[in-house]
Amino acid sequence: VSEPEEELEIQALQRELDDAFATTRPRPALEDELWLRIQSSRPAPSRLRDAIAGFFQGIRAVPAVPAAAVAALLVIVIGVGIVALSGVRFGPGGASTASQYNGSESDQLALGTFGRLPTPVFNATSKTTAPNATGAGQADLAAPAQLTWTGKLDLKITSAPVFRYREPTTNEADQFASALGAVLRERPPGFLGMYSATDYTLKVRGTVQLPPSSPAYFIFASATMPPVEAAGASPQDLADIFLAQHSLSPQWRYTVSVDGTGDPVRVRYERQFDAPGYGAANLVDINGNRYGLEVDLSANRPVVASGVLPATLDQAGYKIVTADEAIRSALASGGTAPAASGAAIKLNQAELVYVLVPAGDHSFYEPAFLFSGQYQLNGQTLTKRVLVPAVDPSQRTP
Amino acid sequence: VLADRTPFEDLYRDYLGRIYAYVRAQVGTSADAEDITAQVFMNAYQAYARFEPRNTTPAAWLFRIARNATLDHFRAQGRRDRLRRTIEHQPQLEEDPAGQAEERIQYRALLTHVAGLPERQRDAISLRHSGLQFDEVGKLMGCSEDAAKMLYHRAVRALREAVRKEAR
Repeated sequence: VSEPEEELEIQALQRELDDAFATTRPRPALEDELWLRIQSSRPAPSRLRDAIAGFFQGIRAVPAVPAAAVAALLVIVIGVGIVALSGVRFGPGGASTASQYNGSESDQLALGTFGRLPTPVFNATSKTTAPNATGAGQADLAAPAQLTWTGKLDLKITSAPVFRYREPTTNEADQFASALGAVLRERPPGFLGMYSATDYTLKVRGTVQLPPSSPAYFIFASATMPPVEAAGASPQDLADIFLAQHSLSPQWRYTVSVDGTGDPVRVRYERQFDAPGYGAANLVDINGNRYGLEVDLSANRPVVASGVLPATLDQAGYKIVTADEAIRSALASGGTAPAASGAAIKLNQAELVYVLVPAGDHSFYEPAFLFSGQYQLNGQTLTKRVLVPAVDPSQRTP
Repeated sequence: VLADRTPFEDLYRDYLGRIYAYVRAQVGTSADAEDITAQVFMNAYQAYARFEPRNTTPAAWLFRIARNATLDHFRAQGRRDRLRRTIEHQPQLEEDPAGQAEERIQYRALLTHVAGLPERQRDAISLRHSGLQFDEVGKLMGCSEDAAKMLYHRAVRALREAVRKEAR
């Protein structure tokens, strides 16, 4: 190999390394899981101190509150803080949202409603995403983002369906596995079951409360998994065939995206919900990323398939906020942006989406608004995403 | 005391991906990469009150912690492996399949080659492509900027040879 050729090869390899490091990221749930661990490692007095500091910040925003009321509220906050830190729980089975359904669920269903809904937690959803993190360098220090809205949110609906499912049991996981021809091997911690079939291993997991993750199955191909043979087939065709062979074809509405930039090639079936009067609304995670079902193919061979575990959904209509209210919430959510961006970001797109809201025995897919806008930093185009709940506050638990 | 610095949560959310990628390029499994990354940020959180932004950048500070945690991991793993070889024949730990399914790696094969390089070469490539300047790489590795550049270029050539060898 001549020297110029060698140099070109080295440069190509360096570009590939840049891409490799920029695109290697942990599983999405790690960010919030680890942050919770860090938070829980803090000594209790400092958590209480933060709670009180947060309370005083809230008071500063409402200057007309009489001093006596402040004092009374402070007593309550300190009391609540102490109780929260002590781990004391009131009532049978704790204070989970699911307990609200005990005994009165059938009445609520008869009224065509699920009662008041839990409020989704979007504290980590004012996200800035970079297609290529390398090169952002040390200019990454965050500053409060100044958000403005320059788009158009033409919302013709005043209500949208909320979907509810019951938490899957080990029996249901076993039935799902059995229908695929897989046999129970064990129940590892965090999973409803782990199963074996001729040429793959199956794991089934229930709802993850935080960060919210839908009940899911994971199929890991063993070395004996044969490639899908179909001359001239696209990755999506191959994934379709594989799913059909295993009776896993999505039974819900979806769009397909194919990420063929690496190995394995990833075929994503992005789930959608029908919102009458609006159309199809994508299911997204708390980062605003669409999800549903994924098949990874390496040399025409399925290596991993993972998807939302099938579940029966109940449905009820709920009043949603107006477009103006949604926009105000999005702009008020702020969040942070890299300081070098000037921290002024124009949001110009908004769509109705669905998000998972775990609530114990029953969980919900609730409508939300996903706002986004792009900005430039160090020559890179970054995307800011903001999720805000769509269900009207009057319909949610305080 | 902390008023003049970035809140730790912002630092954490900004750097989690880069630190994970740095660690993941050096260790064999996503489970190990998660454990080490968690250790890095737990250590960083405990030490943040002592972090002095005038002396170093947050990136250099965090990558120093990450480098030490990764070296500790290899030292501990070396001890475990030696012990295992001595007293019993256990199979190598397999990659956790759930982790493999959920982490996002598009260049798994290339990073496997990086992980197979000698320690200092692997470190030079990982630090450099995690976004550090050569002077920062040199400081972290205890050598000059020029030495860091030479080490890095040798490492890239070694990596190219490894990739070529596999392609043959």
